[in-house]
Amino acid sequence: MPTTQELIAISPEIILALWALSVMFLDLLIAQSRKSILAYWSLLGLLLAGGAEFSLWGREEILFQGAFVQDNLSLFLDLVLLLATGLSLLMAKGYIKDLEMEHGEYYTLTLFATLGGMLMAGAGDLLIVFLGLEVLSLSLYVLSGFRRTEPMAQEASLKYFLLGAFASGFLLYGIALVFGSTGTTLLGGIAVAITEGGLLGDPLLLLGLGLLGVGLSFKVALVPFHMWTPDVYEGAPTPVAGYMSVVAKAAGFAAALRIFLSAFLQLAGDWTLLLSLLALLTMSGGNIIALAQSNMKRLLAYSSIAHAGYILLGVIALNSWGLSSVLFYLAAYGFMNLGAFAVIVALRDGEREYLALNDYAGLGSRHPLLALSMAIFMLSLAGVPPTAGFLAKFYIFGAAVQAGYGWLAILAVLNSVLAAFYYLRVIVIMYMREPAGQVAKMTHSPALALAIFLAVIGTVQLGLFPAAVVELAQASLFPFLGS
Amino acid sequence: MPPFENLPTDLVLQGIFLLVAGLIVVAAVAVVTLRNIFHSALALILCFSAVAGLYILLEAPFVAAVQVLIYVGAISVLILFAVMLTERVMDPKMGARNEQWWLGLLLTAIAATGLGAIVGFAPWPLSKAPIINDQITALGKEFLTTYVLPFEVASLLLLMALLGAIIIAREKEGG
Amino acid sequence: MSGVPLSWYLTLATVLFAIGLYGTLSRKNAVGILMGIELMLNAVNINLIAFWRFITPHLLTGQIFAVFVITVAASEVAIGLALILAIYRQKKTIDIEEIDLLKG
Repeated sequence: MPTTQELIAISPEIILALWALSVMFLDLLIAQSRKSILAYWSLLGLLLAGGAEFSLWGREEILFQGAFVQDNLSLFLDLVLLLATGLSLLMAKGYIKDLEMEHGEYYTLTLFATLGGMLMAGAGDLLIVFLGLEVLSLSLYVLSGFRRTEPMAQEASLKYFLLGAFASGFLLYGIALVFGSTGTTLLGGIAVAITEGGLLGDPLLLLGLGLLGVGLSFKVALVPFHMWTPDVYEGAPTPVAGYMSVVAKAAGFAAALRIFLSAFLQLAGDWTLLLSLLALLTMSGGNIIALAQSNMKRLLAYSSIAHAGYILLGVIALNSWGLSSVLFYLAAYGFMNLGAFAVIVALRDGEREYLALNDYAGLGSRHPLLALSMAIFMLSLAGVPPTAGFLAKFYIFGAAVQAGYGWLAILAVLNSVLAAFYYLRVIVIMYMREPAGQVAKMTHSPALALAIFLAVIGTVQLGLFPAAVVELAQASLFPFLGS
Repeated sequence: MPPFENLPTDLVLQGIFLLVAGLIVVAAVAVVTLRNIFHSALALILCFSAVAGLYILLEAPFVAAVQVLIYVGAISVLILFAVMLTERVMDPKMGARNEQWWLGLLLTAIAATGLGAIVGFAPWPLSKAPIINDQITALGKEFLTTYVLPFEVASLLLLMALLGAIIIAREKEGG
Repeated sequence: MSGVPLSWYLTLATVLFAIGLYGTLSRKNAVGILMGIELMLNAVNINLIAFWRFITPHLLTGQIFAVFVITVAASEVAIGLALILAIYRQKKTIDIEEIDLLKG
């Protein structure tokens, strides 16, 4: 039986699980016309879970015989996940109503997906990594096909599902091999087995780790395992695409951090070269293909791939600076990317979405505030000071240089310059180009406006006053690296 | 396992293994190559059952039972239903392979050789420890003590899958 | 100790995994792809149980992991088949080469 202490330490996860269930039951009682109550109810759950996270800050609890760890690292990542979930729910409220898919299950599944991500962030056992990943992925498969009248959504969902299940097969094969060579699936136990059993450079373990890496790469969409991303983002409901781009990525990196930091730190030398190559491919691939996109959602899909490549740089650097900058980057990326998606959601006339890049022409004069927000998000994604995106890139590239990966940092900077083209093009189109026909219409909704406002605040705040978040990020990694 | 006497046991067990393994491989090949998807599904059931036999050989009766109940009993039936509900479009003459099948074969061959070479001949840290006593009781205890968290997560996962499947397969919007 | 060496089980699992991989990569029918994935998961489970039997027979980790894999496989299949049926209802096909509204 779990002890009271364990239950308290895992309370954020419990709150979220109970909340998801409560939404499911409340859904039965609430009339169709008043379903948006569920959005506020879900947000309340997120706030409570976030509050629980804050109250646990500074504790380091190892729960369930090591299967779950609630430390600052998991708390920081959980907060990023909860924040992203909150923003995406604010975006989704009006959207799913207008597009006639307002079912309570939308909120239930979103909360479940976040729970899966939180489990991954605190996993102390490969079993929990796997189960968390599946909870997250299965919810996302359903959410991306949530608009059942839209054939494209269904297709995207099926594609995502088949590739995701395929990737799970690799992940599991990797886990099985790791289990075979170390005799345990506990992350801490694996580290001990590597030291005591002299498994450094053991081909089996490396193969297992490699397969595990392939499985995770699919989930965070690293090139060449990214094929599903643009299709799924395009087909999925826009708030879901935004949610996925942040939560699935953050959760995947969370699991990768956990696995590498707690279990395979001693094998670091063996995987950095491969990861560097992967990072390079991911950044360049994402950016180059993004240049050719004319659909906003596909553009952001490729851009999100490129960002995964930048984040990988921090993992490769593997010093306290690099890893805390991964955390900072995830937070900054959460704000700016969800912000951009929120603008896409806002640019909508009832059911009709304006997704083509050309639809953004004339936005600057017609909807100045919206255009300004979008400009801020684009500048931040491009990494222009003084935004969050700039500092995030600055930290992560700096960490790579410090760790002796100067060449990789230079290539990353070149990549950012390349990327600036397509981000700035959006701004140019918004402000300089005359609209061909009518200017795109905008949907007014307080919740959506709040989401965009919060994202702008976050993007600017992290850019101008990053100290607090940086300190939190560094405190999160203290137990692992000690400096 | 019935208590075999020492001497011929090894050979008998190896014989049984080869038989079961042969069945698994033949059935699996049938699953991926047969043109009629319905026949593939039947071969899949055979394959799942043979894998259950393998678990008995490995002295894991509980997993064998779960394999029979879930894989043979539930998953196969689901797949059969899906095949029957969608079958009439899949004309057996149409060919079951996509255009990149040869690429798949190539990748598979490379992966199999690589994996097989590393995995099959590696020096695994074999243990001489005896098998745990009274497995099923121990499993039950473990599920509700050490593994209570994954156990609860799995229950949520199943609930979610149920919910998701209903949403996706529901006939009409708002129904 | 059982008379069959560990390497036999592992080789079998590798072969089964490879067959599943081939099925996943070569099938046109979405249900066929799903079957390939199930074969891969079965290969994983054979590995897990064999490792349990030969490497940590005094613990239960391997068996427990295998049971969870089976549970997850069941959930995945439920969702996947629901998706396949939903697409079939709209497009009257589940041939992945004909499901091509989205650019690959």
